Amino acid sequence: MGQLLSFLYRFRAFFTFLLLEFFCIWLIVRHNDYQRSSFTKTTAGVVGSVNQTTANITEYFSLKKVNEELAQENARLKSLLLSNRAIPFDSLTQLSIASDSTDSLSYELIPAEIVRNSIRNANNFFMINKGSNDGIEPGMGVINSLGVVGKIRDVRGDFAQGISLLNTRNPISAKHKITERMGTVLWEGVNPQVAKLLYLTPDVRIEVGDTIVTSSFNSIFPKEIMIGTVRSSEPDKNNTYLNIEIDLSVEFGSLSFVYVIKNNEKPELDSLINSNPQLF
Amino acid sequence: MSKHIVFLVISFVLLMSLQVLVFRNFVFLQVGFPFIYLLFLLSFPVDSGFTTAMVFGLICAIIVDLFYQTLGIHASAAVFIMFIRPTWMKIVVPRSGYESNELSTIGSYGISWFLGYAAPLIFAYCCIVFFVEAGSAQFFWHTITKALVSSVITLVFVVFTQYLFYPKSN
Repeated sequence: MGQLLSFLYRFRAFFTFLLLEFFCIWLIVRHNDYQRSSFTKTTAGVVGSVNQTTANITEYFSLKKVNEELAQENARLKSLLLSNRAIPFDSLTQLSIASDSTDSLSYELIPAEIVRNSIRNANNFFMINKGSNDGIEPGMGVINSLGVVGKIRDVRGDFAQGISLLNTRNPISAKHKITERMGTVLWEGVNPQVAKLLYLTPDVRIEVGDTIVTSSFNSIFPKEIMIGTVRSSEPDKNNTYLNIEIDLSVEFGSLSFVYVIKNNEKPELDSLINSNPQLF
Repeated sequence: MSKHIVFLVISFVLLMSLQVLVFRNFVFLQVGFPFIYLLFLLSFPVDSGFTTAMVFGLICAIIVDLFYQTLGIHASAAVFIMFIRPTWMKIVVPRSGYESNELSTIGSYGISWFLGYAAPLIFAYCCIVFFVEAGSAQFFWHTITKALVSSVITLVFVVFTQYLFYPKSN
């Protein structure tokens, strides 16, 4: 016993090292599973408010760009509004008005501001200044006026953390807009402007510049939200799939204002999936 | 240690806030991350205990982790370099030998000793951080470039900060 104790004492530095290192590894592993909560309740407020303060200072430098983006989005919305023809008072054309406006309102957008964003890691995350107090829940999609940004993974009172599209563990269901073929968009981990589109077979005709949008096969994003355009496409070695690179439409380096998507039908969809798991 | 306790506390507060508030927002050449807070850990006197050094490393790095949204990664790297630091210091002894209670900085032992002492530790730190963060050796060359450029940039900042703000040798 004495020998054991003296052994432990002699190598106490090494054992302390092992203990601390195991603690770190436990933190990493727990954090790695991206559904788990990553920042604890006690630190979220402090970290969030420091991030908010720095974002308040740095956002002045990007005001011009933000203005431009918002103006562009305004123009786009205006053109949508104008293209919506007035109700024709001609009995020959069919007249249909949604009887209850809440029926058609399946998605709601919650505006938020990015207070923290990283793009240079292999697994990037961002933080927004809205949280559970504003009705944000884990699993909601995040977009901005240019396209898909990511999804929410963890929510606290006034802040929420999101997993960026620039994350090697965040696949997004996508489709080729012209042929409607499904694939998966996954970021490769190096260039923040380029991602890969996986699982498209060589029989699909893909041209450079084709649009890639979200598919309707998920309850996170509405369908046909822009993701990017095709940058290059070539068959892989075995000619089973295409190697497609896409230019992401969102500029992740200068993210500032985003919308969090609340899907009002998600509880229904989820309960349907849960009651018939073999169907999905 | 006791002689420098006030200095260490001030440098802890200043370097940590610099790291979290300022240097976190800079990425040089798209691959270089400056980790200036390592200066605080590296400047511990030679006779500060193993455990003290490792616990301080853990505390600092966890604060950094919380802001970098990489919980545990910086912490494990910092604990590792604080663990090998005493052994490494025995290998790179300055010409005049170590003095007890003296900060391990350029002011005490000179620039050439400091570079030889700090560069491998910073490189080990960066390697651990970027390889654990990438989670695989898939982008080996990209990750190793990140680690190399980050260590050089960190070293440059660590050396300049000492010339500008640290006490000269007595």
